[in-house]
Amino acid sequence: MPGKELSSQIEARIQELWPRFPEGRAGKALCLPVLYLAQEEHGYIDDAIVDAVAARLGLTAAHVSGVATFYFMLNKRPLGRFHLQICTNIGCQLLGAYDVFDRCKRRLGVVNKGTSTDGKVTLTEVECLAACGWGPVAQIAESGREIPLYFENLTAERIDAILDALEQGRVPLELGG
Amino acid sequence: MGWFDVKIISEHFGVPEAKDIGWFEGKGGYRSAKKAISMGPDAIHAEVKASNLRGRGGAGFPTGMKWGFVPKDAETVYLVVNADESEPGTFKDRHILFWNPHLLIEGIICAAVALRVKSAFIYIRGEMGREYQVLQKAVDQAYAKGYLGKRIFGSDIDLDLTIYRGLGAYICGEETALLSSLEGGRGWPRLKPPFPAVKGLWGQPTIVNNVETLANVPWILEHGGKAFSDLGVGRSGGLRIVSVCGHVNKPGVFELPLSVTGRQLVEEICGGVRGGRKVKGIIPGGVSMPVLSADELDVPFEFDALQTDTRIRECEVKPGVKFDLGGGKSLRTMAGSGGVVVMDEQTDMTQACWRIAHFFAEESCGQCTPCREGTGWLASVAHRVAFGHGKPGDIELMASISDGIAGNTICALGDAAAWPTLAFLTKYRDEFEAKVRSASVSGPFKAGSAGLGAA
Repeated sequence: MPGKELSSQIEARIQELWPRFPEGRAGKALCLPVLYLAQEEHGYIDDAIVDAVAARLGLTAAHVSGVATFYFMLNKRPLGRFHLQICTNIGCQLLGAYDVFDRCKRRLGVVNKGTSTDGKVTLTEVECLAACGWGPVAQIAESGREIPLYFENLTAERIDAILDALEQGRVPLELGG
Repeated sequence: MGWFDVKIISEHFGVPEAKDIGWFEGKGGYRSAKKAISMGPDAIHAEVKASNLRGRGGAGFPTGMKWGFVPKDAETVYLVVNADESEPGTFKDRHILFWNPHLLIEGIICAAVALRVKSAFIYIRGEMGREYQVLQKAVDQAYAKGYLGKRIFGSDIDLDLTIYRGLGAYICGEETALLSSLEGGRGWPRLKPPFPAVKGLWGQPTIVNNVETLANVPWILEHGGKAFSDLGVGRSGGLRIVSVCGHVNKPGVFELPLSVTGRQLVEEICGGVRGGRKVKGIIPGGVSMPVLSADELDVPFEFDALQTDTRIRECEVKPGVKFDLGGGKSLRTMAGSGGVVVMDEQTDMTQACWRIAHFFAEESCGQCTPCREGTGWLASVAHRVAFGHGKPGDIELMASISDGIAGNTICALGDAAAWPTLAFLTKYRDEFEAKVRSASVSGPFKAGSAGLGAA
């Protein structure tokens, strides 16, 4: 496994946040933020990143790996260019989220957590996104980079338009709310 | 509309300029923060106690009493803001964070002065990327103005405020799990006692308060604890923000008197049920809380009323046998997180029940066996019942699994999986029985076949 180094941007963020934590606690406390920043750059967390984070923060690889596997937002494998996440929890379920989710599965030809054969879209069923009033709701990320928008009130037409845009290689920000 | 005469938190919802510190100050913002510094810790604490403010995260614990648990001689005290809103059906804190970030920051300053906190943290849910950006900008503005950092407002008080992002784990909304996560580990809940107020973040006394709870504090300092208490009902002061979703015409986030009933909420505030249909059930405070049936909607959505009003049926472990909440106390429901889910008469309650059980199985942290194993089994059995593969005895099995989880785990996630299941089984038993009956005649799974794992 080739070694990976943390970027200068991540290092700068570590320097910035370090003094916010008490003496001797910062290394561990920064485990989550640094893993997330590393994922934004690399797309997912692999053993090499775990090792790099552990070395920089003075933690064991076992600890860092334990954290990485606990949190849902940390990807343990490469995803498609776009990560389409559909909430199916109760508020969205009541408004037809499973129809939307099934439509995505059919159009992309994938099961939950699968990636379309062209590598463009990974589809994931997610839990409540705290936007229940306007369900069904989706969240989209692009290559590890979050899009600060939810896509709400999804209908067959709206999810089709979103999938069309993703197939064309863009996030349809105009459909976000 | 009389409901909306007083607004404590939601006044600037929908006003984009409210995110700017200059605009916010023009509307009287940060006055209470300045006042807090001149009042000093004891006077602030006295007002918050008098206000009858109760925690808005879910448990409804009196905030002033919680603050009082911090040892008087503590050298280092932390304040942690729980902005990890993830209780399904709840979307009020996200609203506050997005529309009114400075009000939260002001509340944090007031609480930090009261508790002699020098370092506060906001633990914000990872999925809330948009709200994180808004909040970080607001924090930066407050630092630039000298309202955070060294010698805030020219006083001799220092206060750092750091935003810490979660990474997707419902359990981190539980306060001790949140602290485990903020320290940089897995979000594993801790046994209480010791309570965080005595031994919390990095072993130091720590107060964990919800976003809405703290956003009420500036108003309390401005108008006095008594005025806040007078707005409320009984032992619950102030107003309440509820988020309403599901089959209503006008879903949304509303700041309302605590005297509002479920029926008023649906019919007067939310414009009734879609398509003119009838209500079948309402979850009053996030999916952890037992559902109310259509004939239980005249009880105010207030902390004590929802727990004790005899118009709400007690949850049962089997027909005629009450579920024991501990010490012989029965379970009706609770106000929880204010996340209201309205289900119309066409809702398949067995599927709603399954989806809730499935959620808790997904989110169990895995520490305690009754929860780790029990929530998975519960979801499996609920799934086969809901989707036509149920077997005779499955309803009893669901109740028995729930009863086996409840009260036997470190944190309340286990209870949160068990309670709603028992409520669905108590109040919609006919529907579950009908599903099982039709399945055992025509379903692909015959009684006695190995059907687990249908999910």
